[in-house]
Amino acid sequence: MNNMSILLTLICLLVSCETANYVPPVTPQMASTTRQHHVDLATLREGRTLLVHRCIECHTLPPLWRYSAEDWPEIVNSMSHRASLKPAEREAIIAYILAVRSMR
Amino acid sequence: MKKLPLLCVFILASWPLICFGGARHFTFLYEAPTSAPGSVELENTITWSRTTEDAHLDQVVFREELEIGITDHFQIGLYPLDWNYRGGSDGADGFNYDGGAVELIYNLTNPIVDPIGISLYEEIQAGRRHFESESKIIAQKNFGPLILDYNATLEAEWEEKGLNERNGELQQAIGASYEIVPRLSVGLELLHEFVFPEWKDHERIRNLFVGPNVAVRHGSWFVTVTALAQATNTADEPDVQVRTIFGIGF
Repeated sequence: MNNMSILLTLICLLVSCETANYVPPVTPQMASTTRQHHVDLATLREGRTLLVHRCIECHTLPPLWRYSAEDWPEIVNSMSHRASLKPAEREAIIAYILAVRSMR
Repeated sequence: MKKLPLLCVFILASWPLICFGGARHFTFLYEAPTSAPGSVELENTITWSRTTEDAHLDQVVFREELEIGITDHFQIGLYPLDWNYRGGSDGADGFNYDGGAVELIYNLTNPIVDPIGISLYEEIQAGRRHFESESKIIAQKNFGPLILDYNATLEAEWEEKGLNERNGELQQAIGASYEIVPRLSVGLELLHEFVFPEWKDHERIRNLFVGPNVAVRHGSWFVTVTALAQATNTADEPDVQVRTIFGIGF
């Protein structure tokens, strides 16, 4: 019984960590929330792909709501050289993060 | 000699293009994500081990790696300098050059968006009277700040005159790393080895090593250290081994 409780606790912990990890797929609704910034679906998709490939080379992904919308551009900029991001790629990541945040 | 100024010009011209590869959370395991395209990093791996059962032996193995990201899913590692220092009661003290190696890593799936992140790894090592092939499957899953990693490795080794001595080894390694803050992770690594001298299993050599790790990263550098202790009782294998990987963009 004890082993079962430990196993269940571990599964709950992993599931809660997985939820924190959630990087949602791009939807048309996301693009509509960022329309005033002229961001299209393709840019958001590229931003998501780059986020899950480049950023995890050094660190795990934090929940996207941990930092404010004003802080994210500076956070991404500070690590863009280390992640070999071109300016357009950096902007795509920022656009994706801000679009996800605006959906909450 | 005329090529030297050209090389300097090339390095200076490409300087703004040179970026850094990723940081390591483990030292005895590889992770599924590959380096960003165009990134270049120098990684120095130092492994100290102590064997005391039959004869006292301290060994330090040094590996210098130049890691280059080719595409978002493919990277190459060049090891021009593999060397070691031995000091022990058998009298064969001193430095030895082991040879060089090339490694290729191809990433198939991502540990965040796919159910599991998978990469394939192949390393070819060659030296004096020594040839080795190391093939790995790397599996990784990220759960928020927690990284779970698994490596299955098959090593084939040809040694001595005419490369007539042939040995094999099967390894599996499991690691967990928890990111306390973005610059600091701590975790555990477990290494399970099945050794096949002359590709035979008569001696049934099984080794198990387990121990903690810590990884620190900041700006253009990172340091990861793992200390493993032997949990089995194999005489010829190290009682303890400590591996440090120091990586830096240049």
